[in-house]
Amino acid sequence: MLETINLSKTFKEKKAVDEIDIYLDDGESVGLLGPNGAGKSTTISMISSLLKPTSGDVKLNGKSTIKDPSEIRKVLGVVPQEIALYEELSAYENLHFFGKIYKVKKGFLENRIQEVLDMVGLKDRQNELVKTFSGGMKRRVNIAAALLHHPKVLILDEPTVGIDPQSRNHILETVRKLNEDHGTTILYTSHYMEEVEQLCDRVYIMDHGKVVASGSKDELLSILSSEDTIQVQLSKSSDNLLEAIKAMKPVRRVDETSDGIRIISKKDSSILNNLVHAAEKEGIQITHFQLEVPSLEDVFLHLTGKSLRD
Amino acid sequence: MYPVFMAQWMKDKRKPYIILLFIGLSIIATLIFGDIDRIEQTTAMVYSTEPNAEAVEEKWLEGLNGHETIDFIISDKEEAHEQVAEGAIDVAIHLMENDYRLITSSDMPNIQIVEQYVHKVFTEEAQLEAAAGDGNTEKLRSELDSYLENPPIQVQTESIDGGEIPNYDMGMQLLFGFTLFIAMFTIGFKVNGISGDKVSGIWNRLILSPVSKTNMYIGHLLYSFCVGFLQMLIVFLIFHYVMGYDLGNLSMILVITAVFTLSMVSVAMLITGIVKTPEQFNMVYPSLIPMIPVISGVYMLPGTISNPVLQFIGDMFPLSHGVEAMTDVALFDAGWNDIALPIALMLLIGVFSMGIGINMVERRK
Repeated sequence: MLETINLSKTFKEKKAVDEIDIYLDDGESVGLLGPNGAGKSTTISMISSLLKPTSGDVKLNGKSTIKDPSEIRKVLGVVPQEIALYEELSAYENLHFFGKIYKVKKGFLENRIQEVLDMVGLKDRQNELVKTFSGGMKRRVNIAAALLHHPKVLILDEPTVGIDPQSRNHILETVRKLNEDHGTTILYTSHYMEEVEQLCDRVYIMDHGKVVASGSKDELLSILSSEDTIQVQLSKSSDNLLEAIKAMKPVRRVDETSDGIRIISKKDSSILNNLVHAAEKEGIQITHFQLEVPSLEDVFLHLTGKSLRD
Repeated sequence: MYPVFMAQWMKDKRKPYIILLFIGLSIIATLIFGDIDRIEQTTAMVYSTEPNAEAVEEKWLEGLNGHETIDFIISDKEEAHEQVAEGAIDVAIHLMENDYRLITSSDMPNIQIVEQYVHKVFTEEAQLEAAAGDGNTEKLRSELDSYLENPPIQVQTESIDGGEIPNYDMGMQLLFGFTLFIAMFTIGFKVNGISGDKVSGIWNRLILSPVSKTNMYIGHLLYSFCVGFLQMLIVFLIFHYVMGYDLGNLSMILVITAVFTLSMVSVAMLITGIVKTPEQFNMVYPSLIPMIPVISGVYMLPGTISNPVLQFIGDMFPLSHGVEAMTDVALFDAGWNDIALPIALMLLIGVFSMGIGINMVERRK
């Protein structure tokens, strides 16, 4: 339905997006993951026709949208990262304004406003000024404004940044319903791995403007099928022990975490004996040992060498 | 265009205080500064402490009470001094046989006028008495008056079209100057809404909607125009119909107001294009705008600014042309041909500023 072909964007000397290929099938929910500065927002801006690519193309149903963006704009709803609302107006007045802008027919507009307010759970607060809302409520109105014209494709750019858990859950539930109940195609960008895991059928992982991996959750996890992740808690930290573990043959990577160390080693290689022995030698007790099931976070760490929120 | 216009209106409807404040400021500033030129009737108390005080007072009062705006009234010393000390009157005059003293508590512009006039009356009387010598002064005075009824040389001044030369009313110039100047703030802050929408992301939402970019700009700029024009219209109507100022041909004044507003909307758009954020605009615009009336000579009599560089800078803004056209209409009954040049210049400034301003806003990433 919607695809990018070798899409690139260069700002002066810096390549923000580097020849990425992304596709979205009808009714699919796709996640775009990456740390800050990975190029997610630039990619979204190009897909939604707000920014012209330096090279490459964006196609909707096989037709390029670069020269004539009118077709994609008809089917697209974009929820920007910032709160793109008039804070001096009420939630209802904002939605009425955006409904008029999107030329929603007069007879349908009133019903549609109530529908989208119901979807985001703000029907009973519709006459209050947006500036009096909490960050989470503002983000919900922000989403509602993008839904007024029944978009077939909804692009959400980090819609849960800096909000309370209750609003976050509400937003995730709204997005899930839009995809499952209304068949809306979703492109969801985030640097919260668990949101993407929860919502998306497929995931693109971006770093430094490039797609470093893509596929379904299982496909991405299979990248780590040859490795085990072990979380170890110690009675005290020791640089000598860290070096000793790194020197063990099956160990591929050791990272210090807030509550101990994380070891990535070759699958099914038993390092427990060596680990206990090394700890005893340093006079350190192992207080906790856990073989972890790999998550997308681990995949991301494996691919980029850094965590998502770095 | 209509929804964009209406959204701005809805915002201002909730907070109309700034516009009301600016309307009030226009009126107050004009009344405070504009009335300097309109000299009020001044009262001066006169008294004498000479033995023949009554005769001295009557002698001089007859000569003094010929001024249009100064009333001289006889009083006694204590009352006159008390009135001056309390500030009830600006000046009292201690009359002597052939001399006078001015009693004041502060040096005000009115006192200089009174002093000049009293000095003139005493000097003329002294000249008459000197000319009469030991003769009859009253006889000489009546001879002089009858002689001056048909003087040997008569000088008559008239305007270029044969009419009377009107007095230049600085108060009227200040009325137009302050009204236009304060409206420049309103217009600028409204045009800055475009930058605000860009930063908040609303502009991107509009771009993705079926509304064309032209309509987005028109919605914002038309609203800025209407608010600015309405503010000036209210001020002019109050001065014309409530406060009794003669603004001349009001429809011509309103046409000039409309052209000025259009031109100023464009200048504000140019500044929006030069700065990067609405916050920068809020810093730069109020710093720049107060300089324009000073450079344009709005607070001074025409011709005061003779530096060609300052004149050139002043001419680049619509304020000087707007005030010039309005004062021409109000004071000199100028016709359409007379104000065609300032109107054309304002339109030219508008076209250039709008073109460059929108271009710069669009290029900004």
